[in-house]
Amino acid sequence: MTEKACRGAALGNEIRSGTVSKVGSTKRIQELNGMLHANRPNIDITRARAFTKVYKETEGEPALMRRYKAAAEVYRTLSDNVYDYEQLVGWPTKRIRGANFAIELHAHWLADDLPNLRTREYDPFEITDEDYEELMNVHIPYWKDKTCAAQFEKYVSPELAARSQTGGVEDINNYSCSNGSHFIPRWTDLLENGFEKYYNTAKECLEKLDQNDPKAVDKRIFYNGIMEVALAIKGWAERMSAACAKKAEAEKDPKRKAELEKMADMMKQVPWKPARSFYEAVETAWCACFFLFVEGAGPSITWGRFDQYMYPYYKKDIDEGKITPEEAMELLEELYIKVTSNVWFQSTIMAYIFGGYYRYPHLDVGGLDENGKDATNDLSYLCLRAMRYAKTTSPAVSIMLHQKTPDSLLYEACELAAEGMGHPSMFNCESLYEMLAHRAAGLEGYSNYSRKQILKYGSPIGCVEPGAEGLQYGHTDSGIVNVANCLFCAVTNGVKANGVDGGFCGELVTYESGAPETLDTFDKFYAAVKGQMEFAIKECHSALVVCEKLLAEQFNLPTFTMLLDGAIEKGIDATAGGALVNVGPTMNMVGFGTMVDSVSAIKKVVYDDKEATLAEVRDAIMANFEGYEDLQAKLKAAPKYGNDDDYVDTMAADLWEHFATVSAGLKLYRAGQYCDAAIQMVQSNVGMGAMTGATPNGRLAGTPISDTMSATQQADTHGPTAAARSYGKLDFPAYTNGTLLNMWISRSELVE
Amino acid sequence: MELKLNTPQGTYTEPEYKEEGIRQMADFIRTMLNDYGIYNVQFNTVDKEVLIDAKNNPEKYPTLMVRTSGYSAYWTDLGERVQNDIINRTEHDL
Repeated sequence: MTEKACRGAALGNEIRSGTVSKVGSTKRIQELNGMLHANRPNIDITRARAFTKVYKETEGEPALMRRYKAAAEVYRTLSDNVYDYEQLVGWPTKRIRGANFAIELHAHWLADDLPNLRTREYDPFEITDEDYEELMNVHIPYWKDKTCAAQFEKYVSPELAARSQTGGVEDINNYSCSNGSHFIPRWTDLLENGFEKYYNTAKECLEKLDQNDPKAVDKRIFYNGIMEVALAIKGWAERMSAACAKKAEAEKDPKRKAELEKMADMMKQVPWKPARSFYEAVETAWCACFFLFVEGAGPSITWGRFDQYMYPYYKKDIDEGKITPEEAMELLEELYIKVTSNVWFQSTIMAYIFGGYYRYPHLDVGGLDENGKDATNDLSYLCLRAMRYAKTTSPAVSIMLHQKTPDSLLYEACELAAEGMGHPSMFNCESLYEMLAHRAAGLEGYSNYSRKQILKYGSPIGCVEPGAEGLQYGHTDSGIVNVANCLFCAVTNGVKANGVDGGFCGELVTYESGAPETLDTFDKFYAAVKGQMEFAIKECHSALVVCEKLLAEQFNLPTFTMLLDGAIEKGIDATAGGALVNVGPTMNMVGFGTMVDSVSAIKKVVYDDKEATLAEVRDAIMANFEGYEDLQAKLKAAPKYGNDDDYVDTMAADLWEHFATVSAGLKLYRAGQYCDAAIQMVQSNVGMGAMTGATPNGRLAGTPISDTMSATQQADTHGPTAAARSYGKLDFPAYTNGTLLNMWISRSELVE
Repeated sequence: MELKLNTPQGTYTEPEYKEEGIRQMADFIRTMLNDYGIYNVQFNTVDKEVLIDAKNNPEKYPTLMVRTSGYSAYWTDLGERVQNDIINRTEHDL
């Protein structure tokens, strides 16, 4: 850790929680925002305790039974804190900005790295001395050989284990360590019925079970487990109601006392029973969201089409004069602050790739309704406006744009964009619907979604991945393939650079696709590039399916399962295929612009202009261009992706297609599923760049590669329209797991 | 729809928008998404000089937010290499 790198993180809480952070539409929101910033990310070991206790007590019991019992115990031990100013009830952690993390997925790396947790460069966490000792002496020793990542290593060769976790060409860490992720619960159904319905469904299914059907052996365990977890949720709500009532009793201020009494009353209703008002609907959206953030270890529990399923509650309350738009917005702001408090806990190597504590909740507005009409309503605007006041990192508010979307909503979105916070994200409905139609269905197939389901429930999850409310499960941020490193290996005959991060430096890290001396035509070189990509995709896939099996067999998720349409009736856990559309591990490309610009540079300098040989380019990148500055300058001058230049854009479109085609041809562990391709690996270009040698586009070793599908940094020199034209040549729906594009527009263009 | 809200305690004051700039941005998004079929785009609109200043003087920007890539983060929660990568991206004029 360098002192400089942590200057920001080390800022005092008194600075963070000062007046500058106390923003919002009301005093209440300003105080809650201040509380958020007055806390640094911290570790909560409550969930770890529940898991260790239950697993020690249940040695020898079936895997699913133990897992569901542990999940229920977590609800029984959740904090019952109620703070001043709050209207929404419940916290996932004992402290604000805490991480009630999944010991059963993280213990293997914590065994080595816990001593660095408070001071590591990316995403440091506070932890009390007592909790530190308990983790070190009790929980880590019990779990360190039982995590998915630890078990994975018993299924594969030591070389594959190392390459897929530290090589820097492919990476599976986010899949093995972040089970329970990227999910849109069946919000519409939950608001209308409450968790009680899921308890009753499980009870009825258990009663109707044919005890002589061999499947009853496992289903009995499943139904009893679901009922236990549902009752634990009910018990949590009762505890919260009592905590609110207790606080009300002690409260002197009559106005606040009445609020607390109302909160106590509300928790007797939701989330167990149907929401009766907009307030109760927002409470249900909040607590179910954090339940899943505690049960799962991964990012992105998504609210999906929030403005659609919330609108009936909003409209009824407005019509009956029970709420004003300002009061509704205040609830949204509190929701945004609370969900921002959910920080993501990651291993040190993952924090190095995904740093910033962000947990990818996602909230969408706009789009079409199930009949193909524009779905925009008053809440669509209010959800965007609330972010201007609350100014929180979460959720990722997004607009689903269609030809039919009114300009006024797009203008509201642009005005929010002008605030400079990075909100909102803009999505094209037509591409989304096409992606969903082929989700997890391979090169030729169609997904199980009907058109109506796609129109009504389809929306992005996480950063950009296509999903559907209550109909899809699968952690979509799974495998990373660093194609900048694939390109490097195509030049070096499979050898990784020296002196960069990760393992295998100066050694064979992929396969021998041909010494540069033998690649005497561009076609031969281009085939080597494609071969390296295919090798990395397939090797990454072979590692991911091992984890897919382990997660399905041992890391089950009862609350996710309850919130999947039809999973209880089927008697199948979310991880084991309970969804209508089961998405397996996906293949996510990073470094696209760097790869494309490098291919273009080699084509121009080596094969077209013959100013250097490929062997000289290899020597230059192996030497990080030291002594090869003239060659570096020539390579840098070649045409670049992002400038509407067909010399390079034609190859970009072809390599884009290649990645998607190879990925979508791969079958997954669960029958009937295929791998989905994506290009959305957020900020991983920095960590992955640090593991990548110098590249033939002139980039130096260890520096960031290009992000997501964006043009290489500073390479798109012909303005935004030329960049957009280059992007427009790519086949978007082929990336059934989504695409992400970053652009930067000067704020001074938008506001005085 | 014009959303008029009455928030007397609110800390937010609407900036003076450049109508032309907002319209150009909206048109650009329509072109990219509706015409070119681009699935997703997200924007950083903070001025680059602000980020450079924030990197050197974090205490002045305890709650500054930035779009990293796919998510927004508090600037002071990011490591230096990520901060540098964001500063190094291409800034466009419409």
